[in-house]
Amino acid sequence: MRELTFMEAIREALREELKRDEKVYLLGEDIGKFGGCFGVTKGLWEEFGSERVMDTPISEAAIVGTSVGAAIMGWRPVPEVMFADFLTVCFDQLYNQAPKLKYMSNGEMKIPLTIRTACGAGIRAGAQHSQSPEALCVHCPGLKVVYPGTAYDAYGLLKAAIRDDDPVIVFEHKLLYFISGKEQLPDDEFTIPLGKANVKREGKDVTVVAYGLMLSRALGAAEKLQGDGISVEVVDPRTLSPLDKETIINSLKKTHRAVIVHEAPKTGGYGGELAAILAEEAFDYLDAPIGRVAAPDTPIPFSPPMEDFYLPNEERIVQGVRKVLGT
Amino acid sequence: MATVGIIANPASGKDIRRLVAYGSVFDNQEKVNIVRRVLLGLEAASVDEVIFMPDYFGIGPRAVDGARLSMQTSILDMPLRATQEDSTQAAALMREMGVGCIVTIGGDGTNRAVAKGCGEVCLMPISTGTNNVFPYMIEGTIAGLAAGVVAAGTFDSHRLARRTKRLEVKLDGHLIDIALVDAVVYADLFVASRAIWDMSKVKEIILTRAEPDNIGLSSVGGNLYCARFNRHHGVYIRLGEGPLEVTAPIAPGLIGSVGIAGYRLLSIGDQVEVTHRPSLLALDGEREIEIGKDDEMSIQLSATGPLVVDVRRALQCAAKANLFTRLCGGGSMRTRCAMREANLCLAPLDSCLARPQARDAKHEGRE
Amino acid sequence: MSAQEKELTNEQLLEMYRKMLLVRTFEEKCAAEFAKGVMPGFVHLSVGQEAIAVGTVYGLRKDDFISATHRGHGCLIVKGMPMRKMFAEMLGRKTGACGGKGCSFHMGNLSLGIYEINGILGSSTPIATGSALAMKKAGTEQVHLAYFGDGQSNLGSIHEGMNFAAIHKLPIVYICENNLYGISMRQTDATAIEDIADRATAYGFPGVAVDGNDVIAVYEVSQEAVKRARKGNGPTLIECKTYRWRGHFEGDPTVYRSEKEVEEWKKKCPIKRLKERLMGLGILTEEMSDRIIKEVEQEVEEAYQQAWNDPMPAPEDALILGFAR
Repeated sequence: MRELTFMEAIREALREELKRDEKVYLLGEDIGKFGGCFGVTKGLWEEFGSERVMDTPISEAAIVGTSVGAAIMGWRPVPEVMFADFLTVCFDQLYNQAPKLKYMSNGEMKIPLTIRTACGAGIRAGAQHSQSPEALCVHCPGLKVVYPGTAYDAYGLLKAAIRDDDPVIVFEHKLLYFISGKEQLPDDEFTIPLGKANVKREGKDVTVVAYGLMLSRALGAAEKLQGDGISVEVVDPRTLSPLDKETIINSLKKTHRAVIVHEAPKTGGYGGELAAILAEEAFDYLDAPIGRVAAPDTPIPFSPPMEDFYLPNEERIVQGVRKVLGT
Repeated sequence: MATVGIIANPASGKDIRRLVAYGSVFDNQEKVNIVRRVLLGLEAASVDEVIFMPDYFGIGPRAVDGARLSMQTSILDMPLRATQEDSTQAAALMREMGVGCIVTIGGDGTNRAVAKGCGEVCLMPISTGTNNVFPYMIEGTIAGLAAGVVAAGTFDSHRLARRTKRLEVKLDGHLIDIALVDAVVYADLFVASRAIWDMSKVKEIILTRAEPDNIGLSSVGGNLYCARFNRHHGVYIRLGEGPLEVTAPIAPGLIGSVGIAGYRLLSIGDQVEVTHRPSLLALDGEREIEIGKDDEMSIQLSATGPLVVDVRRALQCAAKANLFTRLCGGGSMRTRCAMREANLCLAPLDSCLARPQARDAKHEGRE
Repeated sequence: MSAQEKELTNEQLLEMYRKMLLVRTFEEKCAAEFAKGVMPGFVHLSVGQEAIAVGTVYGLRKDDFISATHRGHGCLIVKGMPMRKMFAEMLGRKTGACGGKGCSFHMGNLSLGIYEINGILGSSTPIATGSALAMKKAGTEQVHLAYFGDGQSNLGSIHEGMNFAAIHKLPIVYICENNLYGISMRQTDATAIEDIADRATAYGFPGVAVDGNDVIAVYEVSQEAVKRARKGNGPTLIECKTYRWRGHFEGDPTVYRSEKEVEEWKKKCPIKRLKERLMGLGILTEEMSDRIIKEVEQEVEEAYQQAWNDPMPAPEDALILGFAR
């Protein structure tokens, strides 16, 4: 077994994929000698050189756009968009180009592209460096969306994404880079198939669906509720698109209650889609209205007390669960 | 009333020679800057009015827009074709309006077009093209001052200008075109991208000037003869296998070696028949005329090229005549030596007063 | 000495003439069928701009790539896209270049070196630049030709792509088809500079402006740029000055320009120009030209008829290759 943090797990996955397949290359702003804005790619430039770990100008449309072009030619670029907020300045490539070309070309073009981006609040970065825009991406058929919450999942999903022939965007919560402890990962390499959810904690009274940073908070809340005799099952979809509906619905069939947790604002968030699926496909199993715990519909504040208030925490999740249970 | 015409070619300096050689790049914004500097020079030289050739970029109006000028500016009323005929027509109109000088901004090609229309009006050619032999690499402000001095009419313009030669292209004995520097028989079928760079296609060269220090084919001749443009000779060269090979700067950044099959000096009036047919005739660096299999084409050296301002002589004359010097306290200069007039002369008093003739000469830089 | 590597033979000159006619005839057929109402969607025609398609694409290697504009039928035809597949796509047939999933301005074919035409202006530039990056990485001496129009030239993604290509000296040639109008806006109202070629200097590579209605001039310039790219000397920007005779799309009333202006440009017809010169050189005769025109018309008509008789896709084919689940 090897002990790795969230960030180290991502770095190892990148290193192994760079070694395994010479068609894989990384590119992005300051990812080379500097090692990445958060240090994720530290050491890779020294190991693989500037052809495989390319520093780019501040030019997101070129970072993602050239990656689309190289992917068409059979390469497997792994661009990094420094902050997920910056996806908007290359949104055309992300939304109109990469996910559409295979379909428009009637299958002739493959786009084996993996966009990594650091998302999420909690590091006092303000409204334009803290967002979690996964819902925008999920709304785009042709784009696969991955949002890991553990080092183990980040490693396995990233490797699967790089080997996938479709464009995949991997949201890496930047707080997890810094606060996640070491996890045990097998020494042998592995991948986690895209589109497979994972039951992180078994329970019988209520299903909590959570991903990214919210996963650990949901698990913390479950632990607290356990003390009050409430048994919480925590399901992490891990891949938001394509979604493993089955695992979530199966959990609901067992618990008959569901609470969905995400850190993005509630309105138009991914929770709405999950709730709609459960209502549409598993209405008969529901004993209570579906609960949602999400951020308020405001831009993300900077000041620590305000930002801490903004992000859903264990207490809010506990309340959300209690509300659904009527306790 | 001193009037100056300005003909700025917006298309010069961006042809294929940026690719096949290392031709200089002149974007139109820089041409606007140059014209603006010219205008400021002209105004300082007391020019009253400036007339622009219209062009699709609006070089003139843009230049005026950025400069605070008191002189009149206007644009010729003429249809715009965005071809070199615009320059020819503009020059002819300016001549009819009686301008004292025409400032051109472009390369050899631009000046060739202007020369077809300017008659005896002096040209002040500023280089912004690619293969430039005819125009000067000169700061626009200085060009403006010199053009203004010529246009002001204080001096006989022929004293401040030099007569150039030209090549007259004749088809069946009729004049159809001219060249100011060179005419080249080029073994190709299409005018296409105009520039010439493939020396294997150059069959014959006729030069008004053979100067080793020029860029372009003039330098080939310059290594064989040296026929300066103010002398009454030109050079004819036939390229091909032969006992001689010349290495010369064919285009900016492009040094080439060519075999010389034969060459001779041309006197004014000498004529060369084009024998390589069908082919193209390139004039002043650009493929221009398609020569058919049966076309009787000849090229004649003539002494009737346009007058070109001699910048140094013009500004020296202006200095001598105190055009740019005045007494701050008012009053007119009694002598030609401004220093003496203003009691600023630092020359030893005795030598200065004892030998006024010598002193004047000294200050005029004539020794 | 940079002598031209290959002189065009008489046969090649005639082929170029024929290809220009093919593009013209194909597009005139599109216009006629669109006017009948049988061709759905939007159709952007390049009538009057054929010299650019032929001049730039003719002379490319088979494994070179192009990213044409939405007005790119001509480039596709010259690169080898079968007209039947093009017509079929435009008619929404299952056999179309994209199986009916694309449309006129999404056609492509990788095996022919044709990237999917992009419907988002400016966006194909970074993608083509990425293709050139892949070519450089692979060391195959391929070249990518990336087209955009004068209207697109002001988009940020064009800037980002060109800057990226300059940094890495990528084997790409940017071709700006300046037809003077971005839909209704005249280029001179859209940019404060006249020559888009001037912008190349700012990126650190050469920019050349060329008469886009002179097929041989376009050919000469693009061949030099391609040669430069293949040698690893980096990108070039070529601005081809031209004019579109028809509207932005079929059905565009073109109220933004005068009939006189259109007529002036029609006098500069690139096909007529080549024809006159070839006839002057004795390479082409009126009879030969008439014969070529007849052959081309027949070829286009046959392609159209075949496409017309091709089957429509089944409605649920829409779900294939999507993410439908």
